[in-house]
Amino acid sequence: MVNAYLVSLAATALVMAVLAMSAQLLVGLAGQPPLGQAAYLVVGAYTAATLATLTSLGPVQLLAASAVGAVAAAVTGLLAVRVRGTTFLMVTFGVGELVHAAAGQWAPGGSEGTHTPPVIALPGLAPMVRPGWVYLYVLACTLIIGAAVTVLTRTRFALLLRGIAAHEPRVQATGHHTSGLLLAAYTAAGAIAGAAGALLVAVTRYVSPADAAMGISAIALAAALIGSGSMIGACAAAILLVAVRDWAGGLLSGHGSTLLGLSFLALAYLPRHRLAGLLRLRDRGRT
Amino acid sequence: MSAPLLRLDTVSRAYGARRAVDEVSLDLHPGARHALIGPNGAGKSTLLHLIAGTLRPTSGRIHYAGHDIHRWPAHRRARAGIARTWQHPALARPLTVAQNVLLAVPGQHVAALRLRPRASAAALDALDQVGLAEHAQWPTSQLSYGDQRRLEVAVALAAQPRLLLLDEPSAGLATTEVTRLAELIRALPTDIAVLLVDHNLDFVTAVADTVTVLHHGQHLTTGTPSDVRTHPDVRRVYLAEADPTKHVPTTPGATDPPAAAPPVLRVRNLRAGHHGAPVLTGVTLNVRAGRVSAVVGRNGAGKTTLINTIAGLHPALSGTEIALNDRLMTGLSARRRCRAGIGLVPQGRRLFAGLTVAEHLALPRPHPGRPRTITARQILDLFPALGERRHHRPHQLSGGEQQMLALARALLAGPQVLLLDEPSEGLAPAIVGQLAAIITGLAATGSAVLLAEQNLALALDIAHDVAVLDRGTIALHAPTADLRADPTRLQDVLAVPTGSPR
Repeated sequence: MVNAYLVSLAATALVMAVLAMSAQLLVGLAGQPPLGQAAYLVVGAYTAATLATLTSLGPVQLLAASAVGAVAAAVTGLLAVRVRGTTFLMVTFGVGELVHAAAGQWAPGGSEGTHTPPVIALPGLAPMVRPGWVYLYVLACTLIIGAAVTVLTRTRFALLLRGIAAHEPRVQATGHHTSGLLLAAYTAAGAIAGAAGALLVAVTRYVSPADAAMGISAIALAAALIGSGSMIGACAAAILLVAVRDWAGGLLSGHGSTLLGLSFLALAYLPRHRLAGLLRLRDRGRT
Repeated sequence: MSAPLLRLDTVSRAYGARRAVDEVSLDLHPGARHALIGPNGAGKSTLLHLIAGTLRPTSGRIHYAGHDIHRWPAHRRARAGIARTWQHPALARPLTVAQNVLLAVPGQHVAALRLRPRASAAALDALDQVGLAEHAQWPTSQLSYGDQRRLEVAVALAAQPRLLLLDEPSAGLATTEVTRLAELIRALPTDIAVLLVDHNLDFVTAVADTVTVLHHGQHLTTGTPSDVRTHPDVRRVYLAEADPTKHVPTTPGATDPPAAAPPVLRVRNLRAGHHGAPVLTGVTLNVRAGRVSAVVGRNGAGKTTLINTIAGLHPALSGTEIALNDRLMTGLSARRRCRAGIGLVPQGRRLFAGLTVAEHLALPRPHPGRPRTITARQILDLFPALGERRHHRPHQLSGGEQQMLALARALLAGPQVLLLDEPSEGLAPAIVGQLAAIITGLAATGSAVLLAEQNLALALDIAHDVAVLDRGTIALHAPTADLRADPTRLQDVLAVPTGSPR
């Protein structure tokens, strides 16, 4: 029943869950929808792939990918945080497409992508070849990232971001540089997306410019929106969307896109707040 | 005298060719209680925006505590000690009341996970000052309008400002709350300077040492409240007392239409609540053609809930009966009710931000089944000020023009009963006079008007009968003439302790 394909699919779903948390930080907390988070995922993935020639140690790759993702987001975020709302969506989309194109042009392996050796979870352990071990490694990393994000959502920083989403001039009038706060949030989201990139490399042992495609960013944003403000909701939605696209789509011989579109519609019309209530997600979400 | 805390040096702000603020100079010393008054559109709010940094002056300098701040962004001015409130509550609604205040409490670290006891004490203290400590954990969206206004003051105070800018702090507050607000402002530490914009002259007199009058963006005069009130130019442009006939158009009562006419709008046992908490527990009310009925009551008494429930914007609980000309409205959507003839002018006007005046007036259509009672041309005759502003968008209009536009929009749909939610809020006395004349004129042509109003004087001025809303029901419903003859009756019902602290 549970074959290697399903296990690696589950690991891919976790990677998408991490990317959805990255999107949720921006849209769920700060109210700014990003449509380019896959760019930082790919930046992180190529960082991990490049580093793999030096070390196969997974955590090192993860931290490096996260750091480079944050730097990339901090630089490109300067463009994004100048605008709000739909324009923010457009700017992040544009940045994502530029990174996509740049990866095809200059990244190692060109548009073919590049393969990496299996990662090692901890020093002294063997490289992880079997999907089960990879899944457990990705699950552990996802839980750690999720815990860090949960801590972040309970800080004063998160309160200020929610204030910006609700009424930005009010937050300015209380003495806060709102664009600076948004840039910090964008950088943190880039770090999370970069980490997701390192996890992607651990799962697929391969990275290509296609991973920066707009469709990946769109699924992350859709998962965040379906999660209506909650981090766990975004993760659940991301896992659900990957399951629909790859697993159910595979069973129905390649109708993944059809199913994905239908599930977007279904989730948009379902009473999301009630779904979320079932999963007890809204304790610290929007009231 | 010490150096001024704030000095405006020939500050101007132009919107295209129109100068909203025209070379205004002003000095504010620490401890000052300074009020800005003037007709709607005089540039008072714009001036506050220029000081707070949400707008930049087109020319002139702003000096604050020894710095030239006219190029500083808003957040830098806020950190330097300038706190402000907005004309309409600017709050983070998804957050709780306490969280809104905590946004402003200084001395907290951005990465802090736990709230410092000092910060939460400061937040509670600020809430206590305005009497909202009991509601600290409420979601802000559940506060009544007046309580939201008080929360804004708490947010501004929590920032421990040196200069406090208040944009119409008394608008939407009941008389007792206005008195308390005046006491609060007077009791602020003497090193805080307060600059406030308000239309309530009694409030201004109670609070301010100095009053500046603006007119068409220009400085008209500055003096003590009593000097300014007797200044002939002020009386002419602001109080419109040179022409008293314009102010109080007709005296209802003398021309009372027969009260026995069948009611146009009949409300029986109206019940409604917010999130399970009952607000209205059985309101029964008739509104007749040709008459103005006013609903008065304290903040949070449920006036807006009543209006919105009748309009179909707020769900009614079971047992409610709302009938228009004997046709049952309960259960119909707001759109169907509007087509049936219920017109609404909501509180805060709710204009469409992106549309011009002309586009606003092109939108409403009366139901084809009903005779079109009024055309856009007639509307412009009724509101001549709108005719000159056909291509302006709401943010370019003054508060009075915005209110006229909201009223015009509702009238174009040809309503049989018009619901008005606090139409006088934020309007200068002269404009309130015009508004009163328009409302009385509408009733005289046979419209039924239901008016929810905080401004008791206006309600008594134009309504034929007044209903007092208290604890979810109509506590008193009497013809205005009776209430004017015996004002203590009204005071007794309205002056019940509010149950808030102090």
